[in-house]
Amino acid sequence: MSSSPTPDNSLNETSTTAKPPTHLILQMALRDVSVLFRTPWIIITRALSFIVQVFVFANLISGLIHIQGINYFEYYAVGSVVTTIASISFVIGYDIFEEAEEGVLDYLLTLPISRRQLIIGRALGGAMRAIVYTIPMFVIVAVFWGFSQPLPILTALLSLFLLAFGVTGMSITVAVSVKNANRFDVVLALLELAVSRASTALYPIGFIPVYVAVFAPFSPVSFAADSAYSSLVMLTLDLPAIAGLVAFVVIFLGLGATFYFRRLEGGVYA
Amino acid sequence: MSNARLIPLIIERDVRILFSDAFLVAIMFANFSIDLFVTAATFGRLVTGQGANYFLYIAPGSNLITAMVAAFQSGRDVWREKYIKDLTSYLLTLPVQRPVLAFSRVLGGVVRSVIATFPGTLVICYLYGILFTPKIFVAYLIVGLFSLGIVGLSMAISAFSSSIEMWVTVRSAIQLYLSFLSALFYPVSVFPSFLAPIVSSNPMTWAIQAFRQLSPISFAQVPAGDSLGSIATLAGPSLAFALLGTICYIWYSKL
Repeated sequence: MSSSPTPDNSLNETSTTAKPPTHLILQMALRDVSVLFRTPWIIITRALSFIVQVFVFANLISGLIHIQGINYFEYYAVGSVVTTIASISFVIGYDIFEEAEEGVLDYLLTLPISRRQLIIGRALGGAMRAIVYTIPMFVIVAVFWGFSQPLPILTALLSLFLLAFGVTGMSITVAVSVKNANRFDVVLALLELAVSRASTALYPIGFIPVYVAVFAPFSPVSFAADSAYSSLVMLTLDLPAIAGLVAFVVIFLGLGATFYFRRLEGGVYA
Repeated sequence: MSNARLIPLIIERDVRILFSDAFLVAIMFANFSIDLFVTAATFGRLVTGQGANYFLYIAPGSNLITAMVAAFQSGRDVWREKYIKDLTSYLLTLPVQRPVLAFSRVLGGVVRSVIATFPGTLVICYLYGILFTPKIFVAYLIVGLFSLGIVGLSMAISAFSSSIEMWVTVRSAIQLYLSFLSALFYPVSVFPSFLAPIVSSNPMTWAIQAFRQLSPISFAQVPAGDSLGSIATLAGPSLAFALLGTICYIWYSKL
């Protein structure tokens, strides 16, 4: 069997135990990055969806929308990158749910890594792979609309990373809270739809109906979209939006870690 | 038992599967509500100069998208029966001819889809002011006919997808085609000429046009008159896809 212990494996385990915590967290995160890229179908689907949404839907509908001071095609394209990163960040929840169902979690718990490092590594991995995955789309948008200044690009990427980190925490929270597979699928899909649509990512706040506009500015997707749009298009720094994103990360990473930790220690997956 | 008595039993089984978790039906309605009262309502305020209320123009799309999701759920259940639950052998032992079983599964999916969109169709009929007119039955006929094609398509995908990832990918590609390369958001004339044949052959284009023609409001670039022409055009691809789904189901059952 490929998983049988070998002298080489034993050496690896010994050396892993001796590694510093940050290295172990990074190793855990890199595992999640490689897991996503082993499922090319997900990448193809999301990439196709992004391209059709931006270059067919946004391109055509922007011909029917005339807002003073805003190029809606450009607005939608930046928003699409934000909603895509949110969408891909949710995938970590599916992975964690599947691992629990298939028994892979038991294997992960036998690894020479503390629970805390495991949880932080998973959340970091979810965010890292979302960023890696979204960068080509970000580049397409940046090249198409001529966003070339390094500082605004870095600020926008930071906002995207914070969003991905927080959404990963949210996804982990749901994955370890819902026990039924079908329910988990639809709850996560609904949550993804709600945070993306009830936000300012795809349409300016002034046009959102009042019953949604009341809370849309507080959606994490809105924070990231507002920050990215301000940086790239208006060349300004939206500090309240970044502060909102940091708060979102702290809350959901904390919640995700707490729930995951409870499940690991004597919960249904133990 | 005669086939005529077996078909309702098979349909009933599929409907029971849908209601085995009523929560899922509620979530589908929640999805519809977000689509209609958030996305469609916002685009209704964004798009101007279309001659009529854009919200009402795209409103039936939210319901048809829910019908599409529900129809694909039927295909996914068929896929789970084969690859996860290993129920195919059991289903083949039932005292029913295979073509009848296959077509009944398609019909079961249509009934499930119409049930899942029942409240949504009522909402659209209310918005169009046809809630208390005979046109409401035409509205359900359109949803049923549209679902017939999508259930057939989803069952055909189930026959050829060996992994759930592949199934989800093909489903997503079809959903993109139905949503964005159709007249759901804009008239066919907006598309570049090379895309026009693809848009015109999209079942969503005819389903939504038929819905719009039920409304007393005259929308820009929607031909006036009753929906019968659009329904007849929709029937073509829907019946073809239903037949494809039936054939694929029979084929995959024999594997």
